[in-house]
Amino acid sequence: MTPLLLVFLIFSVMLALMVLRTPIAVAMFLAGASGYCIQAGWSPLTSFLNNQAFARFANYDLSVIPLFLLMGHLATQGGISRALFGFASSVMSRFQGGLAMAAVLASAAFGSICGSSVATAATITSVALPEMRQHGYSGRLATGTLAAGGTLGILIPPSVPLVIYAILAEQNIAKLFAAALVPGILAMLGYLVAIAAYVRLYPGHAPQAADAAHAPAQARWITGIVPIAIVFLVVFGGIYGGFFTPTEGAAVGVAATFVVTLFKRELTAPKLAHCVYATAQGSGMIFLLFLGADLMNAALALTQVPAQLAALITGWQLPPLVVVTGILLFYIVLGSVMDELSMLLLTIPLFFPIVNTLDFGIPHDMAAIWFGIMVLMTIGFGMLAPPVGLNVYIVNSMAKDIPIAESYRGVMPFLVSDAIRMLLLLLFPGITLWLVRFVR
Amino acid sequence: MAWLDKLARACAVLAGVLLALITLLTCASVVGRNLLDTAMAGDFELTSAATGIAVALCLPWCQLRHGNITVDFFTDRASSRTVAKLNRLACFLVATAMAVLTWRTTMGCVSAWNSHSGSMLLGFPDWAVYAGMVPPMLLTGAIAMWQAVQGPATRTDGLPL
Repeated sequence: MTPLLLVFLIFSVMLALMVLRTPIAVAMFLAGASGYCIQAGWSPLTSFLNNQAFARFANYDLSVIPLFLLMGHLATQGGISRALFGFASSVMSRFQGGLAMAAVLASAAFGSICGSSVATAATITSVALPEMRQHGYSGRLATGTLAAGGTLGILIPPSVPLVIYAILAEQNIAKLFAAALVPGILAMLGYLVAIAAYVRLYPGHAPQAADAAHAPAQARWITGIVPIAIVFLVVFGGIYGGFFTPTEGAAVGVAATFVVTLFKRELTAPKLAHCVYATAQGSGMIFLLFLGADLMNAALALTQVPAQLAALITGWQLPPLVVVTGILLFYIVLGSVMDELSMLLLTIPLFFPIVNTLDFGIPHDMAAIWFGIMVLMTIGFGMLAPPVGLNVYIVNSMAKDIPIAESYRGVMPFLVSDAIRMLLLLLFPGITLWLVRFVR
Repeated sequence: MAWLDKLARACAVLAGVLLALITLLTCASVVGRNLLDTAMAGDFELTSAATGIAVALCLPWCQLRHGNITVDFFTDRASSRTVAKLNRLACFLVATAMAVLTWRTTMGCVSAWNSHSGSMLLGFPDWAVYAGMVPPMLLTGAIAMWQAVQGPATRTDGLPL
């Protein structure tokens, strides 16, 4: 059997299992195990498997993932989002479309202690959607804004997909988090501009700017943003400043978020139990994906096809930006059937070696960081874009009276904003990378 | 079966306890190192070992809740009976994979015991981590098998995170 045929077979088995509703992790695991066994034999496969779970599960770098998940769930259950949205809306209510803008700001702030876009979207939706509807926002604008705001959860550090990229590409997590900060803030600003433009171009989706109906902003800022700002500054100040590792930062973040929720007096025993169960579900899912992807990638590496593919593409002498653009476009297509974490785990081991050989005129580690941020933004884009757009689904499922087609229309202005920002960051890597130099 | 559910819950809670211990240990180490100038030796190793067991303890609950992501795209139009049948087949495949993983991790445990391997600073034995991972893996396989026989409960939320 030629290597190429074998790769084709491995992928076919994996895809067939996925189509038949086998969990992606297990589809990769079984296809990878078969491919490995065909090439190397049964006994090497079994000895590979002997310590594979140990190597992945008992791994210091990966321990950051369950801790960040727990921190995000504590923030979700701890009543932080309500205070955030309250503060943001009292600041923004003087503008037309102010509540939508407030939802974006609240999502960004919440994203600074939560590493998941779905969790951010769901949390902010639960507090912001009823209020937006009550004030006369159209379902289209309200759900579109909240789905888009959710993507700030992964763009602004912490970010679970970014941690996974860092592990796969063997890059410094602290530097990647630093690199994500400016693009995350740009995304937030871009969404605010998109809202401002949309409510002017299409009147009727948002009410006229409210007058002083809201409580004065000053009274709310202490409960609204101070706790979250402290947690963010302690965690990321510590990580960026080299005072502690990302795992230690996540542990400090769990402790700090827990203390904040205690002060808010919202964290009851059932809610705490919910945090633990949700963290278990998320961690189990991610680490099983790691095992499946490991086996899949080991089988693919044995065929030597990924290395040949890299050599082939490098041999074409294409301009580096064309290659990267091609990869990102591929992610958008793949993202319409696959979820983002499986996609990263399956493709980064294939694509990263290719990107690593390209010359972007910047040091290789900087190029790796920039590429990671571009991939992260493409993932965010995929979470909004039809035909799937997980965030759109999540937000829409919380708004029973709004047809999903309306929500897809609602995300269009934000997709335009995303596309402009991605183009900008693709052409000017310096925007992403300038903050990285300050990380110790 | 109610006892599978109870065991899975117990595992998840135990994972939460381990994560809380990691949090406390790490905070003590960070404070000690940065403020009190006393470095704690081996905190990284204990964190890795505890995470290893904690993550394995997460698997049964994740399987019970159908937390592992599937691709729904291709079966959107299929009848609910077809989907239910496919879900049972999928659970059987999960059980198979978990059986292989449990068996090989047990063998890994045996070889770690024989080779006396352990962590660098504290010499924390690797076999203990393996031994902590095997029972929850076995439970995960049992849950998946039960779901394959009984037919999985109606898919709850199935959200990735």
